Amino acid sequence: MHRSPHRGASAIFKEHRAYRPGDDPRLIDWRAYARSDRYTIKHFEHETQLRGTLALDVSPSMHWGSGDVSKLDYAATLLAALAYVLTRQGDAVSLITFDDAIRDRIPARSGPAHLDYLMRLLAQPSASSGTTALHASLDKLNEHAGRMGLVVIASDLLDLSEDALEPVARIQARGHQTVVLHVMDPAEIELPYEQPMRFEGLEGEPFVEVDPKGIRRSYREAIDAFLETSQRRVVAGGARYMLARTDTPPEHVLLQLLRDR
Amino acid sequence: MGFGLPWVLVGLLAVGIPIAAHLLRRQKLPQQTLPTIAFLHRIQATRASRLRLVDALLLALRVALVAALALAAAAPFRVVQSNLLDREHALALVFDDSLSMAAMDEGQTLIERAAEVAIDQLRRMPEGSEVSLVLAGEPPRVWVRRSVELNVVRDALGELEPRSTRAGALCAAARTATELLLESELPDRRLLVVSDFTPGAKAEDCEWPTRGVRVAFQQVASSNPDNRRISTVEVSGERAAPGGLRLDVQVEGSNTRAEQRVRLRERGQETQRVPIDWGDGRGEAKLSIQGGPSDAVVELRLDPDDVLPADNVRGVLLGSDTIHVLLVDGDPHPDPRKRETAFIAHALDVAPRIGRSFAVETLDAQDLSESAIIRSDVLVLANATLDEKWLPLIQRFVGGGGSLWITAGDRINPRVYGSVLRELLPARYTATRTEDRPLSLSSDALPELDQAKVVARTPIAETALDAVVTARFSDGAPAMVEHRYRSGRVAMFATTIDDAWTDLPYQPVFVPFVLGALERLAGRSQHSVTPYGAVSLPGSTSSQRIQVVTPTGRTVDLPEADRVAFRETSEIGAYRVLVNGVNGERFAFVVDAPAEESDLLATDPPETRGDTAESVEDASKGTEQPLTPWLLLLAVGLAFSELWLRQVRRR
Repeated sequence: MHRSPHRGASAIFKEHRAYRPGDDPRLIDWRAYARSDRYTIKHFEHETQLRGTLALDVSPSMHWGSGDVSKLDYAATLLAALAYVLTRQGDAVSLITFDDAIRDRIPARSGPAHLDYLMRLLAQPSASSGTTALHASLDKLNEHAGRMGLVVIASDLLDLSEDALEPVARIQARGHQTVVLHVMDPAEIELPYEQPMRFEGLEGEPFVEVDPKGIRRSYREAIDAFLETSQRRVVAGGARYMLARTDTPPEHVLLQLLRDR
Repeated sequence: MGFGLPWVLVGLLAVGIPIAAHLLRRQKLPQQTLPTIAFLHRIQATRASRLRLVDALLLALRVALVAALALAAAAPFRVVQSNLLDREHALALVFDDSLSMAAMDEGQTLIERAAEVAIDQLRRMPEGSEVSLVLAGEPPRVWVRRSVELNVVRDALGELEPRSTRAGALCAAARTATELLLESELPDRRLLVVSDFTPGAKAEDCEWPTRGVRVAFQQVASSNPDNRRISTVEVSGERAAPGGLRLDVQVEGSNTRAEQRVRLRERGQETQRVPIDWGDGRGEAKLSIQGGPSDAVVELRLDPDDVLPADNVRGVLLGSDTIHVLLVDGDPHPDPRKRETAFIAHALDVAPRIGRSFAVETLDAQDLSESAIIRSDVLVLANATLDEKWLPLIQRFVGGGGSLWITAGDRINPRVYGSVLRELLPARYTATRTEDRPLSLSSDALPELDQAKVVARTPIAETALDAVVTARFSDGAPAMVEHRYRSGRVAMFATTIDDAWTDLPYQPVFVPFVLGALERLAGRSQHSVTPYGAVSLPGSTSSQRIQVVTPTGRTVDLPEADRVAFRETSEIGAYRVLVNGVNGERFAFVVDAPAEESDLLATDPPETRGDTAESVEDASKGTEQPLTPWLLLLAVGLAFSELWLRQVRRR
């Protein structure tokens, strides 16, 4: 079970608090007033069916992995587990894949058949030929996510434009609980290569020939800055940020995500 | 600047190696995809200009490093042009005192003029300089070794013999002088070669020092190079006058239009003067000696003298092809036809005179004399057992180059030969025996020898290891055995040389058998040498006085010894050897002028070819300072710079 952002009538008492002007007079606990001669509001926990929106970045950079598991596989695994948990507790779950635009969208529903449908798409998302364009994609996501739900975005966030993560704040402003899973391969973070190499990009970037040993320190500084900036921007928008390294077991990431809620 | 090993400069092609490696490295980098390549681009954007600069510098450093090593291996040097005469230095003076430098020019020989030039050089040298003087006539001589007393060297030059008969040895002298220079502790070294640089000097064949020594050539050439020499003399029998000799003289040289003659001198007296018939650059003259020569050698001289008188003289050995045979008869007989030596003497008398002749002297054993032995080439002991007093003399005679032939007979005593002369002989005689059936002889060289029959013999046994059996009996036993003893040869014959034990003297093969044996035994020493060459001669004994009369009539007494190496051969011409005041024809010899020294046409010195303005004034081409250490230092610096830049590139 999870808390709902909606407060109101419910079978579960949560707390008493002093009446403040503007509170609904219908919520005044008259029995408590009779005993204490003070206006007291009776607060109940409101349980509703949650609408969860799972967003998966399927840009070409997500298809890369230094080991057997690509970032896309890792992120899909995390979202699949999350979809399973949500579905099992009766919540409606929708799935959106994106790169520089929305590629696939499964509206929010619940039930085993829907979960199966989600799993199939997570296993084989539509092929992407574009680049990562977070700003546009997250804005579109915001349009489809409705209000007051749970939004989980799994992406490598490799859109280095200044406003790439601005939509996160707007998503959060619509009442969503937003979680950004920053999926990174350890090789992307550490640049473990020893020989001079010709590096080639996955999204049409020109190649570059460098000696990794010579630039490793600068690279790691740049990556650390990137991670720190990404986290700061996500948190500044009111959302949660979690770094998900693909060498970390997915269950650890999932447990931390659920525990922190 | 120059290079000691210029062919090593091919190694400069190796500069292509770092360039090729640079290009290949760019082409063969492994490829790797990386989603975060944008960060690499950002980093590279800030490093790119620096990396390009570092890469260019690295490539330049590597190319420079390879080039520096290749250049260092080529032994480069730079020539420092400075006047050595301004500061103390080491000078090695190679002074050519060969025969050609004895040419007369304007009243003095070239040696005298060269000495003046060298003395003038020495006067201009600063105090503290070191001078070596090496004379370049054969054999080369260090006349002054690294002396700082310049006056001593000047005096030595002033006292040089103005004439010479020596062959040229410029290259050997230059090597010696260079070694002396390299021994010097003075840093500046100069090699000054004073020569006429005629073909005889062979300066082009010399290896002149190329580094660390300045080389200067000072030419002292004759203004009149016309010179003539007697090139060949052929001696033959005079057909018109039996016993006489004919000398065909060939003369070569330049300026052949003037009237010239050849003079013949016998025993120091001029006996003939014949004009030279010139044609096509060559002259001929024919002289004849009637009634046979009065001496073993005569002397020819061109008349008049030219600029180089020393090579106008030529000694001629008249009896050089005569083998002197002393026959010692151990069984004398009043009838000459029945003497032990009758047959061999007759064989030598009838021997054809082709290329050599025999001068035969026959003595009874009791009449043997020391002088008779000394005069001979081959001593034949025919059935003779000598008094033991002669044996030491015979041993010295053979050891000094004479030859001994012992033939058997009923008068020989095997014990004497087997004990006293055992060391000398190639084998040992055993007891004489008469054969039941005649034996025949055999020889690979003379197959006809098998026609002879032998009825008695003194068998030969215990043949020495070095002995050669030249004839055998039909039973296989040695009949004639020969070997060398020191400078001489010894042969033993197992039967008689007359008809007492064999019919060999009646066989036609007897003459070639005897001649062959004597010619093998009469091996001669060289009778013609170059000036200052050594001649092996018998020394004096207590009873003999051996003297050598030089071409100028100077008499030299030989010391008391079995054999001496006579080296006072500086004069060109005929040398006569006197034994107790009498000519010993066997030891006459001649000293010939070195032929290559007669060409007085000077060539350009090696370093000044085509540059006649070059002189000794500039003390040659300067000092060559090696640059290899500096290049190696540069290479080390470049290597360290390369390592440092690689570190910079990684940062």
